Amino acid sequence: MGSWPFRVLVYGFLLMLAIYVLFPFAWMLSTAAKTESEALAIPPTWIPKEPTLDSVIGIWVRKNFALYFFNSTVISLATAILSVFFGSLAGYGFSRFQLPGKRVLIGFFLATQMLPGVLLVGPYFKVLTATGLYDTRTGLVIAFLTICLPFATWTMKGFIDGVPLEMDEAALVDGCDRLGVFFRIILPVLGPGMVASVLFAFLLAWGDLLWALCLTTSEEMMTVTLGIARTVGEFRIIWPMLMAGSLLGGLPAILLYLFLQRFLVTGLTAGALKE
Amino acid sequence: MATARAKSVRTGYLFVLPALLLLLAVLGFPALFSLTLSFRPESGGGFSLEHYRLLLEDTLFHQAFWNTGLLVGLSVAAHLGVGLAVALALNLPLRGQPALRLVALLPWVVPDVVTGIIWKWLYNPLNGALNDILLRLGLLAAPLDWLGGRYLPLISVILANVWRGFPFVMIILLAGLQAIPRERYEAASIDGANALQRFRYITLPGLRKMLIVSLALDTVWEVRRFGLIQAMTQGGPGSLTEVLSTLVYKQYFAFFRFEYASAMAVVMAGVLLLVSLPYIRMISREE
Repeated sequence: MGSWPFRVLVYGFLLMLAIYVLFPFAWMLSTAAKTESEALAIPPTWIPKEPTLDSVIGIWVRKNFALYFFNSTVISLATAILSVFFGSLAGYGFSRFQLPGKRVLIGFFLATQMLPGVLLVGPYFKVLTATGLYDTRTGLVIAFLTICLPFATWTMKGFIDGVPLEMDEAALVDGCDRLGVFFRIILPVLGPGMVASVLFAFLLAWGDLLWALCLTTSEEMMTVTLGIARTVGEFRIIWPMLMAGSLLGGLPAILLYLFLQRFLVTGLTAGALKE
Repeated sequence: MATARAKSVRTGYLFVLPALLLLLAVLGFPALFSLTLSFRPESGGGFSLEHYRLLLEDTLFHQAFWNTGLLVGLSVAAHLGVGLAVALALNLPLRGQPALRLVALLPWVVPDVVTGIIWKWLYNPLNGALNDILLRLGLLAAPLDWLGGRYLPLISVILANVWRGFPFVMIILLAGLQAIPRERYEAASIDGANALQRFRYITLPGLRKMLIVSLALDTVWEVRRFGLIQAMTQGGPGSLTEVLSTLVYKQYFAFFRFEYASAMAVVMAGVLLLVSLPYIRMISREE
């Protein structure tokens, strides 16, 4: 690969990239392990002198993080599963059938991705309050479908496009009906695509702040991101605690990504890659 | 045969229908609700363009509009620049490349609220790491107040946003690069094309679709960006980093001006749809 000056240049660039990407995380970890007085030292220390887990334990206990984790997990998982289920059905319809008006329908699904959340939060606030779903996990799941369902439809369509038509035809000849083809033939081979779409929808829901801020109010319904955001707004910011909270809020996403990285990358590109 | 075809069309619609109805209910209905709300006078009843007229005079709205434009324009441009450079580098046969690819996507995975908070702490004028590094390297003479002053706050928000957002563009472009057949490059080399010419005549055309897709999705996401700014500055100091999403949120839930907030959100959605129309047309044409 090229001459040695070129190689040095590329490796130098990638080294700087790694530092650029990782340094903020390292700074978060370092601060989370400091005492408050050390975090306020001038100039700052880079490596904690007396590393301590006090902040991590402190924020977990003081802020009821176990509950926040439960809420975020239930909400994100329910959103992801519902989106991918309905998204797969629609994706199959788009992938396999010559539907009149298909272009308009696909345009509609794409256009829904373009609507900003703030266009919807006001009506949601009113409607959920009127139906008793304000400040409930169900309300948030319904709201997150607006972001996750169009994406899931699109990525699942991409994955289904990649499954040979002959598989459907063989099953149809064998006397399977369409729903049977979908559930018994197509879904089983879509494993990786489903994991990718579920993961993607999960991360979208997990990372949200806007909807949780607008549609919940009680401590019992607090999500992880909202809990962290509330902590920044407090009168006196204790930085090691806040960094410990950021660590806790980011860790599930990071771990999921590290374990399922292969799937996520294929999921991101499934809708776009095929020519 | 004709009936079989009609039946197959019906089956196809039945597959699409649940998701379509669900989307109309959870998204179509609230969007229309917002639209009608934006034409309703605050005193209730009737139809009025009053809110839209007020928007024309509202300097706060103008500032948020231009701030959004700057944030989106500069962030997306930087995401494309950095993302393309990194994708090209990671597409080379290098040692440690899978590990780097893994690491490079991390900023995009964590919630943007977390990004906002980490960077707020990095930017801290006295105890933050950024000033410390720049002072030690001699690039700064005195600590800089990254989130203070007239112009710096928005720039600082954008810089944090570049860190967060470039990995998405990078990963899409990298997938595009890997899909370009290697033979094309070999053939071009044999024909005597240099690196720049190969980039211009093979890489760029090969990436065309991925560039459009990542550009469109990134733009939409950055216009919607909320958590990062809310966690980092809440639109402040003053309204220097106010963007449309934070301003609409405030109009709703701090000032309780639902009708006015709806008008703002409708303008925002209109601009977004207009900007993404070429993308929507391109994708739905292909089907």
